[in-house]
Amino acid sequence: MATYTFRRILQMLPLLLLISLIIYALTALQPGDPVDQLTLGNSQITPADIARLKAAYGLDQPIYLRYFYWLVQALHGDFGWSRSFSAPAALYVFQERLPNTLLLTVPALLIALLIAVPLGIYSAMRQYSLPDYVLTFFSFVAFSTPVFWLGPMVLWLFAIWLPQVTGGAVSLPPGGLGSPDLDPATAGFWAVLGDKLKYLALPLSVLALREIAVILRFMRANMLEVLNLDYVRTARAKGLPVSKVVYKHALRNAVIPIITLLSLAIPGLFGGAIITETVFSWPGMGRAIFEGLVNKDFNVVLASLTFISLLTLIFSLLADLAYAAVDPRIRYD
Amino acid sequence: MKASNKNAPRIWLTLSLLLTGAALTGAALAGPGNNSLVVGTSQEPPNIYDPWATNNLAIASEINGYMGASLVSKDNNGDLYADIAISVPTLANGGYKLTKNAKGDVTSNSVTYTIRKDAKWSDGTPITVKDFQFWLRVEQDERVPVPSRDPWDKAKISVVDGDTFTITYDPPYLFADQVSPPVAPSVSMASAWNAFDTATAKLDPKTSAKAINDGWVKFIAGFTTSRNLPKVVAGPFRPTAWRAGNSLTMVRNANYWRTPKGGSDKYVQSVQYRFIPNTNTLKVNVLSGQLDALSAVGLTFDQGIDLQRSERSKYKTYFVPSATWEHIDINGFSGVQKVKDLDLDDRRVRQALLYSIDRAALTKALFQSKQQVSNTFVNPISKVYKKDAKDYGFDPAKAKALFAAAGWTPGSDGVLTKGGKKFALNFTTTAGNTTRERVQQILQAQWKSVGVQVNIQNYPSSVVFAQDFIGGGSNGKWDMLMYAWTADPSLEKGNLFTSSQIPTAANGYSGQNEPGWKNAEYDALWTQAGSEFDLAQRVKLFDRMQSLWAEDVPSLPLYFRVNVYTKVPTLANYTFSAYTLYPSWNAYQIGWTAKGAAEIDVQK
Repeated sequence: MATYTFRRILQMLPLLLLISLIIYALTALQPGDPVDQLTLGNSQITPADIARLKAAYGLDQPIYLRYFYWLVQALHGDFGWSRSFSAPAALYVFQERLPNTLLLTVPALLIALLIAVPLGIYSAMRQYSLPDYVLTFFSFVAFSTPVFWLGPMVLWLFAIWLPQVTGGAVSLPPGGLGSPDLDPATAGFWAVLGDKLKYLALPLSVLALREIAVILRFMRANMLEVLNLDYVRTARAKGLPVSKVVYKHALRNAVIPIITLLSLAIPGLFGGAIITETVFSWPGMGRAIFEGLVNKDFNVVLASLTFISLLTLIFSLLADLAYAAVDPRIRYD
Repeated sequence: MKASNKNAPRIWLTLSLLLTGAALTGAALAGPGNNSLVVGTSQEPPNIYDPWATNNLAIASEINGYMGASLVSKDNNGDLYADIAISVPTLANGGYKLTKNAKGDVTSNSVTYTIRKDAKWSDGTPITVKDFQFWLRVEQDERVPVPSRDPWDKAKISVVDGDTFTITYDPPYLFADQVSPPVAPSVSMASAWNAFDTATAKLDPKTSAKAINDGWVKFIAGFTTSRNLPKVVAGPFRPTAWRAGNSLTMVRNANYWRTPKGGSDKYVQSVQYRFIPNTNTLKVNVLSGQLDALSAVGLTFDQGIDLQRSERSKYKTYFVPSATWEHIDINGFSGVQKVKDLDLDDRRVRQALLYSIDRAALTKALFQSKQQVSNTFVNPISKVYKKDAKDYGFDPAKAKALFAAAGWTPGSDGVLTKGGKKFALNFTTTAGNTTRERVQQILQAQWKSVGVQVNIQNYPSSVVFAQDFIGGGSNGKWDMLMYAWTADPSLEKGNLFTSSQIPTAANGYSGQNEPGWKNAEYDALWTQAGSEFDLAQRVKLFDRMQSLWAEDVPSLPLYFRVNVYTKVPTLANYTFSAYTLYPSWNAYQIGWTAKGAAEIDVQK
């Protein structure tokens, strides 16, 4: 196992290098550059000004040299300066944006797991019953509803309509990270927590809803497959209680594919949820990457995508190792 | 054990619902309650109060308006008023002087300013001539990445006495009396600047441009970012908190010298900007009463119309004429085969294209006639605007006649043809801009009715505004291109259409005469106007320049856009115009009538 792990880690290095090259090329070769943003609408700017600015931003160098300089700096932990956020790109991404994203995506996934796993089991155990049909219907609706529509709808419902009909007694804030008037340094822990929950409620619900739909369907399908296997039938035949058959024998095998799902989902958590973050004005990683691309702030994009790529590689390794831990039939030599 | 297993899904479910159903309690509403102002905007500035404006984001300019002060500035009518200076220098009062040679040509000009005795930075230290000298020294330093140094590269400050200085422009600057040199806190910034100066003094700007820029970025970031708020400011508000991605708060600067009618305590004491990138969410914030007003950088026209429908006296929606000119450039580069094939370099064809479209009906249908149809590239509020410029009213008969005169006649399918070639061209704009896409559809249909086959071929704005695309007319990158220019109406120089601004390979496609229009008489008049200091004479020159332009129509003028914003009706003096651009121009007078603020300035 140790040899296998070490070999996989070694394989990661050239792969990560290749990924960084592809990310850099895709980012740098797109049309336009940061200087276009400065010249846009500025009728005073001269060709000499443009040449001077391109040199200042290092854009006068060929792309392979730019990549080389960036790589050397990145290996020293310096991902350059973010022009649109006026901060070192890596510092901004990891200190300002990543915590916000994790605050949103990790609870959303946990809530989704807490709800979807039991509902998936329940649905599978009562296949073709009314609750199963209801849950299936819910899953398809939730899965098919785009966030860019659902987000504004829940905003309208909780920030406009409900406050109107309840005279303001029931309302949730229409987006944002927290009450701008609340100073976390001076407000008490519970006040900050309550405020955060209030602002998290809508984006978290919207994000979790889709995850619930996906995991519920996945769990139901896995469970159904396992429940129909011979060893489960044998367990039932020998008179074991239903709970033991389900939770001890069937569930253990049914969750193995969930590990794959989670190992792919976890790097995604760090990448943020671009539409949800945008609709609910939540300053997370997804928005940072998107705004970085729009504003030609390449350093933010490169720092974020390199980090997410690294996580994807790490979690795919962890997933492989987890298979071995969960399933005794899997061994790496 | 059995029971707990059976209940497990139920317990999980209950826990989850408790978590997701987090406290549904009322959120704090904005309003005059605590004499504060909450403004929503769709952009967040990368930095604030950078005296050298090394980024050109509109929202940065708007927010800087609360914290900044100028020697002189413009009001909503374009008239100058004194802020840091004790009075507005003019030719009449001797503050503005022109130096002429024997032939009567102006060889240099100078403006003398006297600083108010009570003008202070927010920390109470006086604003002095040294602060203006420091600003100019840094502005002129070639290591500093300012987008453009015009006109400050030709300026020199000489001290008259402790409070008075003269800025001289040699060669002369046409608008020397209209703009004043900005100011930077020399005491506050001196040691950081000296550190940058020392660290980069030996670096060659040509070979070490990036290293110098990195040093500059570190210097300026020490004074302008969310982590390092400006140490001192000069304007009526000073920043106190900036939560990146969320909000920025400013409070009234007790050391600001101008006092609104009745005393500062009757006016807004704090201003908070909330950054809401999604404009639909911004709308929800207005509807839910979370915002007192919207920034000038916020909604689209359509969203403004939507909000206007739901006002119910909670807020009012305003459509303010802007300095942004929407138009369609026609590729006029004769070296491009398609331009030759379609005779786009023939003005009769361009005139026919303009006669074929009903711009009045278009602005009525899409913009409730709130956006004024334009006939030239000059803003109608500019003093050099030609009111009687040739008006290409909708006239399909005239359009067909002009096409016929150029040899284009309808084929069997109704499409104009000449020598076996069809009149088919691509029409490009920024993809995803729904307003422009709708305009395109209407124009496409109108052109079709006269036999012009228009193919819509849009690209993302990052592609359209990349220099090699927008400036690539000479390479046939586009046939017709719809976009907008923004220009200060009081500083109109006619630069857009001089042939020296034609993008070429030699200038890296960086000129702004994108259609490639070349007219010798226009060029001569432009050169003359550039050194004509008599406004009446300049008006005459621009009259002819606009006549030439309107006759040739290198671009199809569409309309001047409006900026949309909302505000709560009892919020006073929150106004702007195409001159002031942002409501922050009058920040010290913004207030709630309920708190005793006097309404001095009403939105037109």
